[in-house]
Amino acid sequence: MEFLSDSVVLSRMQFALTAIFHILWPVLTTGMGIYLVIVEGLWLKTRNPDYYLHARFWSKFYVLNFGIGVATGIPMEFQFGTNWAPFSEAVGNFFGSVIGFEASWAFMLEAAFLGIMLFGWERVNPAVHYLSTILVAVGANLSTLWILTANSWMQTPAGGEMVNGKFIVHDYFQAMFNPFMANSVLHMFFATLETSLFVIGGISAWYILQKRHPEFFAKSLKIVLAAAIAVAPLQIYIGHLSGEQVYHYQPTKLAAMEAQWESTPAGQAADWSLLAIPNEKVQKNDWEITIPNALGYILEFKQNLSEPLHGLKEWKPEDRPHLVGLIYYAFRVMIAIGFFFAGLMLLSTVQWLRGKLSAKNITQQRWLMLAWVFAAPLGYIAVESGWIVRCVGRQPWTLYGQIRTVDAASRLPASNVLTSLTAFAIVYSLLFIAAIYFGSRIIRRGPNLNLPIPGTEITKAAVDTTPGEFVPDERPVEAQQ
Amino acid sequence: METLKYFLPQVWFVILALFLFLYVMLDGFDLGVGILSLTSSDDERRGILMTSLSNIWDANETWLVLMGGGLFGAFPLAYGTILNALYIPIFVMVFGFIFRGVAFEFRELSRRKLFWNFAFGTGSFIAALGQGFALGAVLKGINVDETGHFIGSTWDWLSLPSVLVALTLIQGYVLIGSTYLVWKTTGDLQETHYKTAKIAALTTLIGAIAITISTPIIYESVRSRLFQQPLVYIFTLIPVLGVWLIWQLWQSLNRKEERAPFVWTILLFVLSFIGLGLIVFPYIIPTEITIYEASADPSSLVIMIIFIGFLIPVMLFYNLYQYIVFRGKVTGHNYGE
Repeated sequence: MEFLSDSVVLSRMQFALTAIFHILWPVLTTGMGIYLVIVEGLWLKTRNPDYYLHARFWSKFYVLNFGIGVATGIPMEFQFGTNWAPFSEAVGNFFGSVIGFEASWAFMLEAAFLGIMLFGWERVNPAVHYLSTILVAVGANLSTLWILTANSWMQTPAGGEMVNGKFIVHDYFQAMFNPFMANSVLHMFFATLETSLFVIGGISAWYILQKRHPEFFAKSLKIVLAAAIAVAPLQIYIGHLSGEQVYHYQPTKLAAMEAQWESTPAGQAADWSLLAIPNEKVQKNDWEITIPNALGYILEFKQNLSEPLHGLKEWKPEDRPHLVGLIYYAFRVMIAIGFFFAGLMLLSTVQWLRGKLSAKNITQQRWLMLAWVFAAPLGYIAVESGWIVRCVGRQPWTLYGQIRTVDAASRLPASNVLTSLTAFAIVYSLLFIAAIYFGSRIIRRGPNLNLPIPGTEITKAAVDTTPGEFVPDERPVEAQQ
Repeated sequence: METLKYFLPQVWFVILALFLFLYVMLDGFDLGVGILSLTSSDDERRGILMTSLSNIWDANETWLVLMGGGLFGAFPLAYGTILNALYIPIFVMVFGFIFRGVAFEFRELSRRKLFWNFAFGTGSFIAALGQGFALGAVLKGINVDETGHFIGSTWDWLSLPSVLVALTLIQGYVLIGSTYLVWKTTGDLQETHYKTAKIAALTTLIGAIAITISTPIIYESVRSRLFQQPLVYIFTLIPVLGVWLIWQLWQSLNRKEERAPFVWTILLFVLSFIGLGLIVFPYIIPTEITIYEASADPSSLVIMIIFIGFLIPVMLFYNLYQYIVFRGKVTGHNYGE
């Protein structure tokens, strides 16, 4: 148990633990915010009370997840200072500013309007309420934008240079729009959306299987389906673009993702390893199934690579990521889930077009509904896997190619970090259990279909067609035009 | 360029002071209400106390996140050094926040509310305690080398003066929490908090007097600062004004006014903050590293002013709007549907 006395390893474990737990909650609220905008919009447009009840029901999950997301997110910000002080000092010029932007652009917007979104139904008029819902969703997604901007910059630091151990920014916009930025933001945006859609879809399918309010939940399932038809394939495409970027900018990570130990020069074809057991000690895969010449097609849609593919052996062991097996399998798990989602989408769409998803028929779609229930947690697993690939694959660098993780950590007594790490492990596990417990309680209770619909008098006024009292025009005939 | 290097860190010092002040004032009453909930006689009262905060605690807490992010960007050296030195108080505060935050969601969904009430109260207390020790430690001074990096030990933050600061800060939070509840509640509950406000006003006063007298005696650096011309006049004026404000607060509590006690308390907070600011400035790690030494590049500070500066009035506006939407007395003890 040597690592127990190594504060750098412990700080890494603490950051990883808090990040892995924290992401579970915002990943749902960020996507669900958009879903809530859709259902509330449908309610305002159609005045069908079902949509209002959907907004109220799903917002219960929203607030539960939001609360835990905030509680678990605050330690993330502080850890940069407590555990990664040298890193904070070195990159404060850019990275620190972006963390500040996240708080001011995103977090405050979300926090300020959430209260109105949740408790303001009777206090503000529908337009203001809808605006609040939109602003909450915008706030959450701006968080994605800023956090992914900061993280992308750690992957592909651009816009300046290291001078005397400090990153000096020459061009802020170049740093913000670093090579990874646009794709990473989109990839995460679609990931949150996809995760939330499949959670909503999975819970809806569970109700349908239970024959509880099937017509009500067929509605949410169809909204999910309509959105996910576009999202699932797009996510695969964005994912492909991200992989291609890793190939260009982070050769060590790509080699680990694909468990490639040997290099392949440009202009040649490389085999793609489908499944393998990577062995870091002997620097090869103990066992593998490969698809001949496929890697070029995967990276570039052609057989021969246009750039050399560097194998892990090209770097000294201390210059390349460890845990190759973890990175390799995390990557494959993410991809498998992405394709599973797209397949489920396709199948569901076919059934929809065949009329099998109507309120009358949907309860008979047992296998399809079971597949949706099964899909509900998969988005989370895909997101976690993706982040493992992204951040474990970046090692041994905190700022890729610039600052090593060992140099980024604060010099702390290991006992301090061990204590805080243990406390986090216990508290976050309890939060996880509590979240599942209370989440499933919301599901078991089900929607309250007897909620009064707010603003009904406003609705009446809006559609009021009773003719007013006739007032004779007393102006001269010439002026009556 | 030289003027910029002088001027920009000052602008950021003021912005961060504003964020910190808004945080201490707004989340201050949240934490105070939380601590007071530990003394509530029954579950319905605790429910009303939590309802009075349900829609605002999160936005209030955000001012601290904003202060943290701003400090990180504007004074990276200070951010790293201070947080590194305050490892234990910071995590004590963070765990307090975690319990306080989740208590709101879980209590609503729970059948056994007592546990989550307790989590809310103790979470608030622990968070306030961590903050108090952090403040005390920063005022006492952080042990750094000539480049500004922390070289002290784990328990440096713990000292008799920092205990005094922590206890006084908690009293201050209880005071502002009590006056907030006087404003937001009615009947028996309001009566109770007229009383707690009076008790807290006295204990805060005692703490403040103790700090005012002991600080210049213990710390040589503060002493020389306090007796510097012309600041010495301001530093004499502050305690006098403070006692006058507490007297006004006391009378408004006697007259059973509803909003005035809260306003007087805020003015007290403003006054203490100005005092603290004047003692600390121009240091960001008192009396070792100045804001000029710890600041980020001028170009960074400019970018941050562009990206954050114009949002400050916007953020103030939508926070204010939120208070307007939820104005009036707290009615129920359930905050969701």
